[in-house]
Amino acid sequence: MDEVFRALADPTRRGLLDRLRVRDGQTLKELESELPMTRFGVMKHLRVLEEANLVTTKRRGREKLHFLNPVPIRLIHDRWVSKYAEPWAATLSELKQDLEEEE
Amino acid sequence: MDRYLVVDGAGTMSVFEIYIKTTPERLWEAITDPETRAKYSFGVRTDSDWAEGSQYKSGVPGVIEIAEGENVEVDPPRRLVQTMTALWSDEVKAVGTSRVTWEIEPVGTSCRLTVTHDQLPADANSEVYGGWTMILSGLKTLLETGESLDTPGSLRYSGATG
Repeated sequence: MDEVFRALADPTRRGLLDRLRVRDGQTLKELESELPMTRFGVMKHLRVLEEANLVTTKRRGREKLHFLNPVPIRLIHDRWVSKYAEPWAATLSELKQDLEEEE
Repeated sequence: MDRYLVVDGAGTMSVFEIYIKTTPERLWEAITDPETRAKYSFGVRTDSDWAEGSQYKSGVPGVIEIAEGENVEVDPPRRLVQTMTALWSDEVKAVGTSRVTWEIEPVGTSCRLTVTHDQLPADANSEVYGGWTMILSGLKTLLETGESLDTPGSLRYSGATG
């Protein structure tokens, strides 16, 4: 989990995740074309994201495609946020039930 | 680092990856045993005989149908390739048939589980592949602690048949 927070602590890396969120499965070339940064710089950031498991890669022919992996962020959510969301979700589902019964 | 896999076929793809402290055998069982599966899949069970080419059905019998498809490749405890047609609403039915690949790879005393959902249309309703993060998080909790996840929505249908 330390690696996830370290990876997310950098605005460039968050920007890379934003780009993958908009369009998943991009190559290094595509990702670097939108950033004012050297190829080496982008590679370095991608490696940090991969080590944190926030980015996962797959091969297509000679290309290496980068995908946003949202699971580590879900684990953070389930550890801390879920406790607060639970009563709220329960209220919503009760409300839904009440409304449906009225129909 | 040669850990990436080959992408084939057309369509949009989403990849979900998680490390779980367990053995490939226990992980495979948790994926293919209907009772265990229900504990981390919103209470939804998946039934099949898991032979290659066989069919599977996911749902809560008598309450809701969630998905169905074919087990295209079955290679326990490493790899499972399935077609998937989501059934829980007209919107998701309209997405048609996509493909889900489960890959288990031992890493030290843990396993890396990768779920790749591909062959989706570019404009596919995100509900169809949006549940994987919650499912995988629940699977990790179950195998590592023996407890079921109790986050909102994660047990949506678990009491439905009781």
